[in-house]
Amino acid sequence: MTCQNSDLRRKLAQRTNGLRAKTALAIFAGILAFAVGASPQTAPKVAKVAAKVSPTEPPAGAPVKSYGSKSAPITLEVFTDYQCPSCRNFYEQTLRTLINDYVASGKVYLVHHDYPLSAHSHSGEAARWANSAARVGEFDKVEAALYDNQPAWEESGDLQKYIAASMSAADFKRVQAQMRGCEGPGPVAGASGAVSYPPNGKPCPIDAYITPDILLGTKVPVNATPTFVITYKGKRLAPGSGGVSWPILKQFFDSLLTQ
Amino acid sequence: MTTSSRNRLGSILLLAGRIVLAAIFIVAAIEKMKPQPGMPWTLHSINLSLLMFSWVVDSYNMLPSSTVTLFSQILPPFELFLGIWLLSGIALRLSSLVSTLLMCMFVTALVSAVERNLGINCGCFGQGAQVAVKTELIRVSGLFLPLAVAVTIGAFLLHRKPPAVDAAAANSALPAGSEHA
Repeated sequence: MTCQNSDLRRKLAQRTNGLRAKTALAIFAGILAFAVGASPQTAPKVAKVAAKVSPTEPPAGAPVKSYGSKSAPITLEVFTDYQCPSCRNFYEQTLRTLINDYVASGKVYLVHHDYPLSAHSHSGEAARWANSAARVGEFDKVEAALYDNQPAWEESGDLQKYIAASMSAADFKRVQAQMRGCEGPGPVAGASGAVSYPPNGKPCPIDAYITPDILLGTKVPVNATPTFVITYKGKRLAPGSGGVSWPILKQFFDSLLTQ
Repeated sequence: MTTSSRNRLGSILLLAGRIVLAAIFIVAAIEKMKPQPGMPWTLHSINLSLLMFSWVVDSYNMLPSSTVTLFSQILPPFELFLGIWLLSGIALRLSSLVSTLLMCMFVTALVSAVERNLGINCGCFGQGAQVAVKTELIRVSGLFLPLAVAVTIGAFLLHRKPPAVDAAAANSALPAGSEHA
């Protein structure tokens, strides 16, 4: 190999490396731009959806299915199905501690929304019982009774037994009164988020408090239960789904609160 | 097809595969790290997004809570670094091997989620959550992992030392006496 040839090869190698580096940078910049997705374009679209699905004020006389103070800095909205095992785990392992800790201390306002799934035969009825109890101020007891005894009533279909055992006879009569005319399966989230009724199911007055939750969930969108949405200082964050353990959720809340 | 044209084709295919693989990692990293809508690009908002990613990691129930957050904060930046590393072509055999190992880790986590029926009873319209996990498993194991493996194999093949006969042929092309200079 002559000196001239080696010089030429060196220069060629340098030029090639330089070209490769510039090409790599250009490709990276292109990928970065694509991935970031011109944020001003995407943010308004999401913001519009957020404006439509912000927590709605329930109509007068509506059941109270929330815990804590509305003035709390963080609002946690949870879409659940009482017959859903993951929802049960989420309630038992995360929400219970949240209610006793961060809700009690005024950091979080917890709102429950019903999203009974069509795959669960008793979920609509469970939602009706929970809403009936919420109308007379017994929501927390019925929610706990439904989740604590989920495996039992899921198999037997006898929800009344466990709901009645969670409160006094007088209180249970008041809850039962709300369920008048609501025999049979209740409303569920059907295909495409439409509200539907299983065979032998028919609408009843208490469903007026379940169907808005289902329609709200469709807009989130709820693709699985549990799904939760966090709002902080008016900013609605992307929904999360599946069970999150309390230490992880607590860490997130702490990070939000220190912002 | 001659050896040189085969090598050239291999180089082009390797480059294309490398770019696609890098794009996968970079896009995945940015999707996890980018701030929530309406939030600016600050360290705090990125940290918030990473904490939201920890929800996903936590839902797999594979790591103790104490390590979930750390893992969630390390993985996306590492994916970003890996994508840039693949694009640069520096130490390609190592970067492609690391990307293959990372894909194997993802497949393992997804298979574990499917086997443990994570979310199977709580899928909307039937099997929503479980379908999502299975779809992701098919995507990663059917597309991304084979691509990573192909890039790794290509990187190793194209960096093989040339066979001895080529060196001898090169020497025979030199002017007489120059090999002793």
